[in-house]
This record gives sequence, C-alpha cells and structure tokens, in this order.
Amino acid sequence: MNLRHLAAGCSRREMLRQSANGFGLLALAGLLADEARGQSAKTVPDPLAPKPPQFPAKAKRVIFLFMHGGPSQVDTFDYKPLLERDNGKPLPFAKPRVVSGETGNLLKSPWKFKQHGKSGAWASELFPEVASHADDLCFIKSMHASNSRHGGALLELHTGSDTFVRPSMGSWVTYGLGTENRNLPGFITVCPTLTHGGENNFSSAFLPAIYQGTPVGNAGMSSDRAKIPFIVGDTPAKLQRMELDFVGRIDRERLARTGPDNALEGRIDSFELAFRMQTAAPQAQDLSAETAETQKLYGLDDPVTANFGRQCLMARRFAEAGVRFVQVTHSYKWDQHGDLKKDHAKNAREVDKPIAGLLADLKRRGLLKDTLVWWGGEFGRTPTAQGGDGRDHNPHGFTMWLAGGGMKAGISHGATDDYGYYAVENKVHMHDLHATMLHLLGLDHEKLTFRHAGRDFRLTDVHGRVVKEIIV
Amino acid sequence: MSGRFRLLSAFVIVTSLLFSHVASAIEPSDAAGFKFFEDRVRPLLTEFCFSCHGATKQKGGLRLDSRAHAIKGGEIGPAIVPGDSSTGLMLKAVAYDGELKMPPKGKLTARQIADLTAWVKMGSPWPTDSASLVADPMNMPATKAGDHWSFLSFRESTPPRVNDEKWVRNPIDRFVLSKLTEKNLKTAPQADKRTLIRRATFDLLGLPPTPEEVEAFLRDDSSEAFAKLIDRLLASPQYGERWGRHWLDVARYADSNGMDENLSHANAWRYRDWVIRAFNSDMPFDRFVKLQLAGDLLIPDSPEGFVPTGFMMIGPKMLAEDDPVKMQMDIIDEQLDTLGQAFLGLTLGCARCHDHKFDPITAHDYYALAGILKSTKTMDNFNVVAKWQERPLADPAVAAKARTHDELIAATKKEIVSREGEGKKKLLAEARERIADYLATAEEVRKGRRASVSLMTGGKPPDGTLTVEAEDFQRGNVLKDREHYGKGIGVLVNAGPLPNFAEYDLTIPADGIYVLEIRYAAADPRPVRVLLDGKYLEDSAGRTTGGWFADKQSWDLGPVVTLKKGKAILRLERAGPFPHIDKLALVPLPPGQSAPVRPADLAVARKLVPVFLNQWVAHLDRLGKAPEGDALKKLAEAKDGPFAIPTPIDPLLAPEAASELKVLREKFARLEKERPVLPMAMAVSEGKPENLKIHLRGNHLTLGAEASRGFPTVLALPSQQSVDLKKSGRKELAEWITRPDHPLTARVAVNRLWTWHFGDGLVRTPDNFGRLGDSPVHRELLDWLASRFVKEGWSVKAMHRLIMLSATYQMSAAHDPATELKDPENRLHWRWPRQRLDAESFRDALLSVGGNLDKTPGGSLLTISNRAYVTSTANRNYDGYNSDRRSVYLPVVRSAGYEPFQAFDFPDPSVTKGRRAVTNVPAQSLLLMNSKLVAEQTRRLADRLIARPGDDASRINFAYELLFSRPASTIESSRAIEFVTQYEKAAMSEKLEAAEAKRRAWQGLCRALLSSNEFMYVE
Repeated sequence: MNLRHLAAGCSRREMLRQSANGFGLLALAGLLADEARGQSAKTVPDPLAPKPPQFPAKAKRVIFLFMHGGPSQVDTFDYKPLLERDNGKPLPFAKPRVVSGETGNLLKSPWKFKQHGKSGAWASELFPEVASHADDLCFIKSMHASNSRHGGALLELHTGSDTFVRPSMGSWVTYGLGTENRNLPGFITVCPTLTHGGENNFSSAFLPAIYQGTPVGNAGMSSDRAKIPFIVGDTPAKLQRMELDFVGRIDRERLARTGPDNALEGRIDSFELAFRMQTAAPQAQDLSAETAETQKLYGLDDPVTANFGRQCLMARRFAEAGVRFVQVTHSYKWDQHGDLKKDHAKNAREVDKPIAGLLADLKRRGLLKDTLVWWGGEFGRTPTAQGGDGRDHNPHGFTMWLAGGGMKAGISHGATDDYGYYAVENKVHMHDLHATMLHLLGLDHEKLTFRHAGRDFRLTDVHGRVVKEIIV
Repeated sequence: MSGRFRLLSAFVIVTSLLFSHVASAIEPSDAAGFKFFEDRVRPLLTEFCFSCHGATKQKGGLRLDSRAHAIKGGEIGPAIVPGDSSTGLMLKAVAYDGELKMPPKGKLTARQIADLTAWVKMGSPWPTDSASLVADPMNMPATKAGDHWSFLSFRESTPPRVNDEKWVRNPIDRFVLSKLTEKNLKTAPQADKRTLIRRATFDLLGLPPTPEEVEAFLRDDSSEAFAKLIDRLLASPQYGERWGRHWLDVARYADSNGMDENLSHANAWRYRDWVIRAFNSDMPFDRFVKLQLAGDLLIPDSPEGFVPTGFMMIGPKMLAEDDPVKMQMDIIDEQLDTLGQAFLGLTLGCARCHDHKFDPITAHDYYALAGILKSTKTMDNFNVVAKWQERPLADPAVAAKARTHDELIAATKKEIVSREGEGKKKLLAEARERIADYLATAEEVRKGRRASVSLMTGGKPPDGTLTVEAEDFQRGNVLKDREHYGKGIGVLVNAGPLPNFAEYDLTIPADGIYVLEIRYAAADPRPVRVLLDGKYLEDSAGRTTGGWFADKQSWDLGPVVTLKKGKAILRLERAGPFPHIDKLALVPLPPGQSAPVRPADLAVARKLVPVFLNQWVAHLDRLGKAPEGDALKKLAEAKDGPFAIPTPIDPLLAPEAASELKVLREKFARLEKERPVLPMAMAVSEGKPENLKIHLRGNHLTLGAEASRGFPTVLALPSQQSVDLKKSGRKELAEWITRPDHPLTARVAVNRLWTWHFGDGLVRTPDNFGRLGDSPVHRELLDWLASRFVKEGWSVKAMHRLIMLSATYQMSAAHDPATELKDPENRLHWRWPRQRLDAESFRDALLSVGGNLDKTPGGSLLTISNRAYVTSTANRNYDGYNSDRRSVYLPVVRSAGYEPFQAFDFPDPSVTKGRRAVTNVPAQSLLLMNSKLVAEQTRRLADRLIARPGDDASRINFAYELLFSRPASTIESSRAIEFVTQYEKAAMSEKLEAAEAKRRAWQGLCRALLSSNEFMYVE
C-alpha cells in the first residue's frame, strides 16, 4: 500500500510554505531535487513518515511521566538539612514578587532522606523503589519556570508558552521525526488531564492536525477503560470488512472516471490503515499479553499501584511498538496545600513501584538506552508552610529527573538554595529542558520551526539552551 | 566560521529552491539574508550600538538603525560598504586594532565579529530597509515603506479582451481566461446541472440539495435557471448559518475561554447569532467590520451596537495570571493580532517585541494601536480568576417583563418576611412566658447528660470511645473534601450524587451502651437517617450549626444504642445533600449509668421548643450558672441569646402557619426560578483614554517612549482622521479600516469570499497579506473584485452572484493530464477544485439525509452556566453535543472540542483561520466506521429506505438521489442489492435476528455510501 498518499490533503504546498526557513528544509530540498529529476510533480510527502533527525540522535522516543499538581522537591529528591534545622523559622530571604498564595515559616520535610546507589543520590522515603534506580537517573535540581498557577504552568510545560495557544511538545517531536509505526498514532497521551489547559496540552495548535496527540482515555477514568477514540464500534469485523471492500470498490471505480487525484486515493488507503489500527491499538494496549512477573513488576497486582502501573506498562508497549512520544499522567493529585503528609505519601505510593518497574523493564529489554524517560510536575512546592501541613506552588526551583536516551546516569545537576526555594546553581529553565529533549532526539530546537501567521515558530520561542552538561 | 558559512550557503540554496517553486514572495537571497540579519546582526546592533548611534543619539553623526544610515555613515565616513568587508569603518572598529575601538565597553567575541563580517560580505541584507526608519515616524518616507503590493492602492484595470468570447459569462472570466490563454492552458468543460446544484447548495447552505430541488432545477431549462437557484439559496436562512460560520473561523469564535481556566462563555452566542443575521441580511461588509470594532460607539446604548463587539471579547485569555499588568497586555495583544489578521491580513502581533521583521509595522505602530485597546474596557477585573465584561441587553419588552416579575418576587418576599415576623413574635411571646421552665429544664439536661456531650466537646473522650473520620467510609457516594474546610480537615460534602449515603464497617471494642455522636457543620438543617446493621434508628445531625465551615463544626448527640462486641455496619443516608460531616464517635456509657438525657426528648415531653432548650443549655454552659433578675431578662431578649430564632423559622411554627409559609416559600422559589434572565452580551465599552509606552522586547517591566494612539504610518491615508485623544480611538480605528481607499480591507475581504467558494484564495494566505504572505497570481482580478465590492456598497451577496455566475465557477473538475502538469495546483483556475466536505457540512448532511435535521435558528445549546468551568478539575469532560440542530449552533468548547469535528479539521478556535486545513487522517475513517454519530444516522437512513414502498432498486435509487444528487446506474443498483443480500446473510451468520440483520445490511450500505468519495467531496 502506498502510504505516501495518507497525507494527501496536507498539501505539499502547505508543507513547503510552512516549513520554509526551518526544519524540514533539507528533507524538502531532497524532495524538490526529486522533482527536478523529473519525478511526479504530484508527489506528496507523507507527514508522518519517519524522518531522519537533523543530527545523530541519542534518543528515539520519549516517555514523559507527568505528576500533575506539583510534587514537592524538598520532600522527594532535593535534600535540605538546613530546612530541617530551621523548621518553624521564617525564610531568611525574600519570597518572590508574585506568588499564588500566602505561606508562613519554614516547614521541614516529614520524611527521612538517605543516599542511594553508587552515585549516592539523595531520596526521601517516599520513593524507595525509584531510589533503587538512582544510578540510572539524572536529577535536575535547578528546574525553574515562569508561572505559579496550574493552568499557566501546565501550558508552559507542555507547549512552551503560558501566554498563547501553541503546539504541544509531542506534536513538535512528531512533526520533526514522524512515527515508526504507521498503524499507531505517533504521539499518545494516556489518561490526560482535562483541565488546566486540557487538550491544549497535547494539541497541535497551528501545526497540521496529524501531529496532535491521541488521547487514550482521560484522567476521569480508570486506565483499564482507556481507549483511543472511535477505535471500537458495534459492527462485527467481518461485516465491517464487507463495507470497506464495498467503499473501496466504488471509490476506485469513480477514481477511474475522475482521473488521478491524490486526495481521493489517500482516502481509500486511509480506510485500510484505520482498519489495521483497530487491531494494532488494542493489541498494544493488551496487558494480558504480559507475563505475571512483568505485571507484578509494574504493581498490577496491588490495587494501590494498579491504575498507574497499567499506564506505565501501556507506555512501554506503545514505545516498543514505535510510538514516538508517550505521556502518562498521574492526574492532579500532587497539589498539597494541606494534608501533605498523608497525600504526598499516598501519591508516591501509587507511582513509585510502577515507575521503578518501567525503568527496570525498559532496561532489561534494552530500550532504556534510546528511550528518554522524564519525570516531573508543572512546578515544585515552597519550603515554607501553608497551614501546618501543606506547601504552596513554586515555579522558582524544583526537581525533575530524566533517565536513558543519552542522559548521563547517576548524576545530579544544579541546585536550589539552602532551603530549596529558588534554583540558584546551573539553573535549567523549562525552555532549556525542551531544547535538551529535542537535542537528544536529534533535533535542533532553533531549526525545528513552523511558519504561522507570518512568523517561524519554535517550541522554545526565542529561548532555550541545550544543557550539554547532562548529556552523555 | 567557514562551517557556518557552509551552513548558510546551504540555507540560501535550499531557500531559493524553495521559493522558486512557490510563487516568489520574496527574493530568495533576501529571505536567507534577512534571517541571518535578524538572528545574528540586529541583536548585536541593538545591544551594542543603538544607544549611541540610533534614533535618539547620533554620536559622531552616525546612525546605525537602518541600512541607509549605516551606508551613509557618520562624520568620518561610511560605517559599512555592502559586499566589501575591507572598507567600512564598522568592521575596523570592532576589530579593536586601531584608533577606533567599538563598542567602547569591550571587544565583541570572535563569533560576533565573524557574524558582522559575514553579513557585510553578503551585501548587508536588511529587511524592509525602511522598517527601522519607520520607528521614527518623522523620518518615514511613506511611499517607500509601503512598496509591497498589498499596501498600494488598487490598480484600476479593465477586464481584458479574450479570444474565446463565447466562454465568458462575466468579467471574472476575462481575467481568468486571459491568463490561461497566455499560458496555453485549456479550460475544463462546463459542469452538468446535477453537479452544479449540489455544488451551489453545499457552497451556500452547507447542505445537500433534496431530490425534489434537484428535480426542479433540472426541469427549469431557462437560461436564468442557475441565477434563480443562487437567488433562492441566498434567500434561505441556512445561508447565513453557512457563511456566518466561515466568519466565525476568522473571529476565533468559542463558547468557552480555553487556556488555563476554561470558563463558559455562555453569552458568546449572541455575537454568533448576530454574525449569522448580518450575513442573511446582506449587511454591507464595511458596516459589518465597523460594528465589530466600535458598534457601541456607532449605535450607543443599544445591543445592536455592542453585541457585535463580542468580536473583541471572545479570544482566549489567561485568566489566572498572577501579574495583572501582563494579563492585560496579553489580552490586548490577542485582540490586536486577531483584528489585524481578520480585517487587514496583517500579522500585527509580530511587532509586540520589536519592529516587524518583514512588514513595515514598527513597535511604535503596534503600541499606538494597542493604546486604543488599552483605552477600551474589555475586563471587569484582572484578578485570579479574572472577569470579562458583559453588558445587559436592554430589550424594552423583556426589561418590562423582568420588572413586573421582580415586583412580584418582592411582594412575595415581603409577605414571607411579615409571616415570619408574626410567627416570631408569637413564638417569642410564648417562650418568654416560660423562661422558668426553660431554665429548669436546661439545668436538668446539664446535670443529666454527664457522660456524653461534654466528653466529646471538651477533654478526652472516655476510654473505649470509637472515633471515625467521616471521609473514611467503606462504601458511599458522597465526595470527600480535604482542601476547603481548613488545613488537615477532611469532610464529607454535598457534591455527590443523590441520595447521599456513607457506610462504615465498625469494630465495636466491647459490649455496652453507646451514644452515637456526629461532628459536623451545617448552615441549613440537613438531618441524616442513621441505620445500624440495616435497622433505622432515627434522624440525627439535623441542627444548624451556623455555617458550613470548620469553625462551625460541633458535636451533636445521636441515638443511644446497645451494641455487642464485634462488627457493626453504620449507615448514614439522606435523600438530599449531606451536612458537612467531619467525624463520628461511639461513646460508651460507663457501666450502670443510664442513657444521657436528650434535650429533644425532654423538650417534647414539656412542650418546649427543642431549639430554644438547646440554646439555653449552651448559654448556661458558657455562663456556668443561670443569671438572675435583669441579667436574665437581658439574656432572654438578646438577639443571639437562648431565644435566638434559627433560620428558617418554619419547624418552630404551628403546623398551619408552617404550611402557609411553605406555600409562600415555594411560590417565591418558583418565581425566582422563572425570573427572566436579563440577557447579557460579552461586549466592550470605552475605558480610560491613555497612551501606551513602547514595551521593549514586549516586556511590561521595561518601558520605552510613549506611542500616541494612531494607525500604522505606512498605511496612512489621505486626509486621515486622527484619534481624538479624549476617547479611546476605536471609532477612528473602525473608520480608518473601512475607508474605501484602504488598500487592505476590501482586498482581504473579497479574497476571503473567493477562498470560501473555491477552497483557496487568489492570495492563498488569506490571513496574511504581508511580505511573507502569498502573492496573488491574479492581482488584477483581485483588485478589480475589491474595487467593485466597494463600489457596489460592500454587498457580500452581490459578490456571491458575481462569482458563482462566472464560467470560472461553473467549470467541472474534469482532469486533464497536460494542463495538470503545467498547473498542478490549479492556481490559474483551469478547472473546478474538488473540495471535501468540511466538518459542519459533513454532520449537517448526515442529519439531513437521516431526516432528523432540526433547522431551528439561533440560541444557545451550551449546558454550562455562564463563567462556570466547562472542563473541571474533577475531570468531567464537556459532553453537551447531543442535538439535531445545525452544526453552527453546537457549542464550540475550547480544549474539549466535539470529536467528530476535530477529526474533520475543525480549526483550533483560539486562533484566526481564514482557510481550514484539509487533512486525511485515519481518525476520519475510524469515525465513519465506528462512531455513534455515523451509526445512528445511517440507521435512520436505513430505516427511511426500508420504509419506502417499491422494490430494492428504487430504494437504492432514492439513496443515490439523496446522497449524490443523481440516480443509481443499473450496474450500481444491482451491485448494491447484491451487497445488501450478502451482508444480510453474513449478519445472520453473526447470530443476528432476521429483521435486525436486514436493518444492519441497509445500514452497512448507507455507511459505505456515506464513506465514499462521491459523498464526501463536492465536485
């Protein structure tokens, strides 16, 4: 089957005009050269065909484990002895100009920290399982971003902009690299959040719609019910096959009368692809194909970890099947303005084992080396207290960690101040992390552009620096 | 350096390749050079040079803020000599090896110097040389800056003479044919009548023609048949629904805010309906534009005026931005960017941070325009979450009705208050008579209760007390809230489905008598039913505690029960919402002690009011002992004393009085509910007039010079009205944009109309007429259309007639290999461009052929009340799309769009979209194969077919007439019959009932036909 036609409607002209000046130029130059050699002027580039990266890539795909709400850095991976010592005292320096809520004095972490692995990485008792993989992780302790509200911060994390509607990072990646498995979407988001930007967090905005993220379920449902939209209907497969054969036949006959037309031909192929997706997608999601040992590894046998465990296992299966960007969301649970002790513990317990399982599984399958695993929330939390047992949002300093896909393993990069409020050393802005992620995928964030409304847009806008120090 | 040069030259090559294939918008070398300049050179100049050699200071007589100035140089000679890196003074100075060392504060890096050198060698490309000059409007040579075609006035041209006069139906065809002849291209033959009626009906109405309409059109063999058809379609109310929707794409219309706080725009539809009416009434387009910008000023104090300004209001906004100044500037930017693209085809937003890189729009121009919007009121406030402005519609009839209704409500309320007063008076009179009884009984209660209340309210509960957190129920449907009732406090709240219930599996520590106590807060009485092991005990927690919040929580005595050691199931239930329950406790009575005295029982026995008794107990608890004499009298009369009357008073009244009051209250509630909602519209008004300062790099914290309100200098028109600085300037803005001699407005407008007819415009970037936009192949035609549009009073319907009556419009989509090779994109219009149905036409056609399309016009279908969250943190998605109304009326919910629309390229409703993308993605196929929408509609259609009299062949013929506007051929018919027969058999073998199998078979046929290219495309 000729998959080139699938994108028939996403016309060549649009592709040319809008990728002009930016990424895709070289690929397009090749295309134009083909034309110059007299090949069909009607050749349409398949926008989802795997594209070579701009330079050799260290990562082929990304799995982003999103902790919606904002996990606290000082209670997880950013150990602050002074915070413990000065518990209850005022913060000895100024709080930010703009905050989302009032906070009081310093609040020490209710959890004990210790060092793990050969690297001696600090982790609190909230993440014992993840901590056992410390030597595979690269902690960025100096993350910072611009927005102190969930909505703005989610949009900035996912699209690079907390001001306007922009394409999501998964869309950029798929636009840049295409997908390796045409029977599955190139960008999948498992149980995404419907709020705080909602679909804009995985939409393609002005990029062609073909690059938008495909939601599998949403955060409002249990992950065992999560499905790709319209993947299942009520027509038995045998009957559906008859229908498609019939459509194909009348379409082809008509095509013979109208003369060649890419768009019309593309639609015929598209039905076949859809028919195959109907099998491929549920297969990729079929966790019963995994051994009991693997299921257990992800915590599927425990009601507390089963939901997120399924999401992580699905992510591995999608990644393995060639999906370029998979996001897994632990939805809006980490926002502990109060009940920190109880709820952070509960949240961590839900994700700790599944994440550790994912890391172990990727590693033993040899997938970790070219899969970038990324953990974090839209911001961190203040070391100062809200009430007696809570923390406010804090975009000024927080921790994310990455693993695999060309990241240095067993290191910690950057630092916050003595209390964990502000990033102060080797600061990494969200834009920088985006630039770094694209770099690992073999894409230059300054050259991955798309022309819209008279400008060449990028994921990193006019910002972003590749954090070379954390790359192998 | 050579490395980068290689890259750069690769870039130049690729770019030139690229642009030679696209109609040359800009010279290829320019494009690459400009980019290099913008990326590498301008930042250097800005950072190191302009402060001394710019618009304000010119040390040594040198300015470096334009190419011309740099070449001219200063007192000691030219700063640059384009193409020559050995002569200019700038490169000498930055080399830091002679007398002249620049910049004075320190040498540039090697890379920076290399960039400057490379740039000079390239010939010093500097986009729109005038751009920087324009920054200083005094210096701007107006004619030079606007030399881009779209900034120049229309070229008056007469439609050319052509060889084939017979082909020409109107002047459009002369322009088209003359270009085709020039290129030696053949026109496609005229489309047949069936094709034409299907094309015209989808085009103007977004619906398929009915078989009867097709028949009537075929029968009309007059030469005016098509013109009559167009007139009929233009007169249909469905026309405005189709073409209004086109405009709504431009206006980025949506029924919710999207962005961070996705609040419902429940009044946005008024703007949408106004747009539809404006198209239906053929409102002159200049008027249409003016009203959207300044309707409130043109028709003051009238919804006719301010409803159209909804255009300015409906953009996506970051409503939870902690920095209010930034929020306002972002909102202004969104408005400006949208109006620029919508009316002028200009990407004004580019000039927010710096002078526009490609168009002669400066940051000064941007802030001059932005000042107009800053002086316009869009928002009520910039809080987190911010509130946009709405204005009441003063429809006199509705307002009068509302007034009458309000009077009725007030009268009822008065009656209620007076009854309450009477009841109160009576109650108090009776109660005060019995102060002594209350005192005595209260003391009795206090003495008798010992073991229970006091133990839970103060001190430690007795040993063996079982305390349970309310939210730790084992089974239940009530929501737990741990955030809003105080830190560390979790309570049950009333947001769960009704009836509310919660069940607790308890382990009773020992045999004994226990008192159940509940700690809760409630502002209204919400007694819960208490059941133990399935047995109803009594209602409890029915008091009001004075509020819903944690500070009003208190313990309440419940039933006394005898329990055995071991398991017990406690259940709380209520038909309505729960009070806010915090904790439960089972308090054991010490052995030998009798059950506590419960005030309620005593009160009933002594005919006292239980609430008063409780309050007496509480007051005595507080005071320690009973007051006497005057103190007692004062206490009894105190507003918050023991005789304080709870709200509502009803339970305390005599049954008759209570039931009368109940009737009144119900009447009041009904009236409140029926109260006509005073219609509101999202609309702007005049704000405080003020100029803005230029925001350096778009940042509101770094301000530059003030920009007096006005319009882009490059687009200055003769005897132009300047802004009255005592007002916002919106009126002048609207007038400037719609001047007949404005070079952009009419061109952009007719190009939009052309785009919506043909799927592509004469300028193929309908929202961008700037230098990076497409250049028209048919500029003469565009100019001729634009000037005719203006001359004919900006009538959109007249343009439809003109365009559709042309031979150009009426060509078939016939393929011609030779012509196709020469003009594969059909830019010269040698045939009809086949077009796929857009999302709305697809759905409306499905409803139409299913026979269930509801053509009711106007109004809102949004199911979420105004300013409420459309998608919430509780992860409920918006699902209010169930309707048979036309698609234009389905809510447009940002960030939670209707899935079938999203699959079919419905644009992101956050940005202007003059031409929708047409993609082909598997999601569309999946939708046709598996969606409920298609399943339901094909089932309806199948039922329609089955119900028809006649044989299967006639049924199939009818289906073809409905879907394709043509009869089925004999072969098609027999093949379809065979398909149905085979399908039915196969369905039977899938164990379906015979009747169901038959339905399925016809449904399968319908789905196949609807999925086919012939249905999905308009020829």
